[in-house]
Amino acid sequence: MSRPRPPRTPRDELAEATPHGVLYLRRLRHAQLTLSVLAVVAFGGMLGALPLALYLLPGLADVRPLGVPLPVWLVAVPPFPIFVCFGIAYERRARGLERSFREIVGGDDDLGA
Amino acid sequence: MIAVVAITAVTLGALGLGAYGVRFARTTSDLFVASRTVTPWFNAAAISGEYLSAASFLGIAGLEMKLGASALWLPVGFTAGYLALLLFVAAPLRRLGSYTIPDFAEARLGGRPVRLATAVLVLAIGGLYLVPQLKGAGLTVREVTGAPYWVGIVVVGLVVALNVASGGMRGITYVQAYQYWVKTFAIVLPACILLIVLGGLPERAALFGRELPAAPEGGARIELAQPARVTFPRAATVTVDGVAVHGQAGETVTLPAGDLFVPEGTTMPVAEGVRAQEGREWSRPVASGGGTASPLFVYSLLVATFLGTMGLPHILARFYTNPDGVAARQTTVRVLGLLGIFYLFPAVYGLLGRVLVPELYLTGETDSVVLRLPEAAWPGLGGELLGALVAAGAVAAFMSTASGLLVSIAGTSAYDVWPGRSVRGRVNRFRVAAVAGMAAPAALAFVARGLDISVLVGWAFALAASTFCPLLLLGIWWTRLTLAGAAAGMVAGAAAATGAIVVGLASDPDGASFAEGPVDALLAQPAAVSVPLAFAVMVAVSLRTRRPREMQAAMLALHLPDGLGPSALR
Repeated sequence: MSRPRPPRTPRDELAEATPHGVLYLRRLRHAQLTLSVLAVVAFGGMLGALPLALYLLPGLADVRPLGVPLPVWLVAVPPFPIFVCFGIAYERRARGLERSFREIVGGDDDLGA
Repeated sequence: MIAVVAITAVTLGALGLGAYGVRFARTTSDLFVASRTVTPWFNAAAISGEYLSAASFLGIAGLEMKLGASALWLPVGFTAGYLALLLFVAAPLRRLGSYTIPDFAEARLGGRPVRLATAVLVLAIGGLYLVPQLKGAGLTVREVTGAPYWVGIVVVGLVVALNVASGGMRGITYVQAYQYWVKTFAIVLPACILLIVLGGLPERAALFGRELPAAPEGGARIELAQPARVTFPRAATVTVDGVAVHGQAGETVTLPAGDLFVPEGTTMPVAEGVRAQEGREWSRPVASGGGTASPLFVYSLLVATFLGTMGLPHILARFYTNPDGVAARQTTVRVLGLLGIFYLFPAVYGLLGRVLVPELYLTGETDSVVLRLPEAAWPGLGGELLGALVAAGAVAAFMSTASGLLVSIAGTSAYDVWPGRSVRGRVNRFRVAAVAGMAAPAALAFVARGLDISVLVGWAFALAASTFCPLLLLGIWWTRLTLAGAAAGMVAGAAAATGAIVVGLASDPDGASFAEGPVDALLAQPAAVSVPLAFAVMVAVSLRTRRPREMQAAMLALHLPDGLGPSALR
C-alpha cells in the first residue's frame, strides 16, 4: 500500500469539469477572497485604530471606571467579544456564498444566475 | 504539599484520558489526524488547550508586571491570529485533505524536495518551541515543590511522549480539550476569589498613580541565594542578614547573599535592567517615548502575531482533524470565544502582583507572579489551595502545548521525512518518532538550564510567520505562485527573521535594553519586516518564472465546497 489518500484530485476527473464549472469556481474563489479581505480591512481598521486613539488621547487615562483607567479596560476586554462577532459574521457569509454556489452548480441546466 | 497533589492529579488525569484515547487509535488516520472526526466544540477546546502555553499562562502576567500595560497587547494579538486563520486558511486547508504542511506544499507546488524542505522547517520550529516548554516545566515544578530542575522535565516529557506515542492525534485531542478547561479554571477561579477576598484592587497609587511599587505591610523578606545587582529607584536602606545597605536614588548596588529585608513602605529596589515605572506610566498601553509601549512596537507586535499564528505547524496540524471545511470554520469561531474567556484574566494577576508581590521586581522573576500571587494575597489554607490550582494549571499548559508540538514533529517525521511502506510501518515509525522527538529537546532543555532561552520562542514564531504564512496565503489564493517563487520567498523570510534575531542578540546579549528604540523593536519583533519581505520575494520571483500548469486541480481541491466532488462541475 502506498500513501493514504493522495491530496491531489485525479486529473481525469478534472478533465471532465466543463469550462462553465471552472468559471463558477473561480467566481466563488474571488467572492470568498473579497469577503475575507473586506473583513480584514474592517477588523484591521477597528483594532488598528485603538493604539492610535490611545496614543493621541492620553487624557483617557484620567477616566477610571471602577478605579481602573479607561485605556487598560479598552485593551483588556472589548477586543475579545469583537473577535467573536467578526468570526460569527464571517462564518455565516462564507457559508452563504458556498450555498449559492452549490445551488448554481447543482441545478442541472438552471445556470442562468 | 497540596501543590504536589494537584499537579499529580492533573498529570494522572492526562494519562488516564490518554489511555482511554488509545483504544481508538489504530490506523494511520487516527494517529495523524484523529480520522478527521473531531466535532467543532471538542476540537476548539483542544486547539485552545494546545495554544495556551506557558507564555500565555505565566508569561503575559509576568510581562505585564515587568513592562506595564503594553503587555496586554499580547493576548489581543495571539487571538487576532486565529481570525486571520479563519479568514484565509482554515476551510481551504482542510478541504485539500492533506495530513501535514509538507503535504500541502507538495500538493500545491509539486516535487519531493519541497516536501523535505518544509518538513525540516516544521521540525526546526517544533523543536525550538518544545525546549522552552520543557524548561518552563522544570522551573515551575522546582518553584512549587522544591524538587530538582530535572524532575519537571522528566515528568512532563514522559507523560507527553507516552500519550502521543500511544494515542497519536486521536488520544491527544481528548487530553488537550481537558487541559483547556483545567487551565481556564485554574486562571479564572483564583483571580475571581482573590478579587473578592481583597475587595477589589488594593493600593491604587502604585498601579495608576505617581508611586513606585513599595514593600507591602510588614516589609518584604527575600532569601538571596547569590549576590544580586539591584538598582535603587529612590534612596533607601535595606538590610541583609541584619547589616544595613544604603542606596542613593538611581544607584546600582551589589547585595550580598543572605536574608534580605525591605522595610514596609520602602520603594522596592529593582533587578538591574528592569525599569522602575510610576503607576501612571506603567498603566499606559500605548505611550510616547521608547519601550514596549511605543506605537511602533505595538503595531509590529500586532502584525507579527496576526500573521504568525497561522504559520505554527502544530496549530495547523489540528485543523486537519475537522470533518470538513465548514466544520473547520466553526471550530475556529469557537476557538476565538474560548481564547477570549481565558485571556480576560492574566491581566488581573499582573495588576495584583505589582502591589502584593513587588519583591519579584527585585529578584527579576516576574514570570512567577501567577504562581506566587495566591499565597501572598491570601495567607493560609485558602491561598495555598489556590496556589496549588494555578500550579496544576501551569503544568497542564506545558503538557498540552508540548503534546501538540510532539504530534506535529512525529507526524512530519513519520509521514514526510521517513515514510513507512505499510500501515504497520507508518504507525510504528510515528511512535518511534514521538519518543525520539521528545528525547532530543528534553536533553537540550536540561543542558540549557542556565541560558535565557525565551529568544527561542521569538525565533520560532518569526520563522513560522516569515515562511509558512506567505506560503499558505499565496498558495491557497494565488494561482500564479510557482515553486521557485515559494522557495525563494521562504528562504528570504527565514534568513531575514534569523538575521534580525542574531543581530539583536549580538548587539544586546542580556536583553537589558529590550526594545528601547525603533531598531531594537524591529530586531525583537522581526516579523513586521520579514513577513512583508517574504511576500514580496514570493510574488516577484513567481511573476518572473513560467506560469504553473495544472493549477485547476489544486484550486478545485482547496475551494470546492464540501460535499461536491469534481463531478459536480460537469
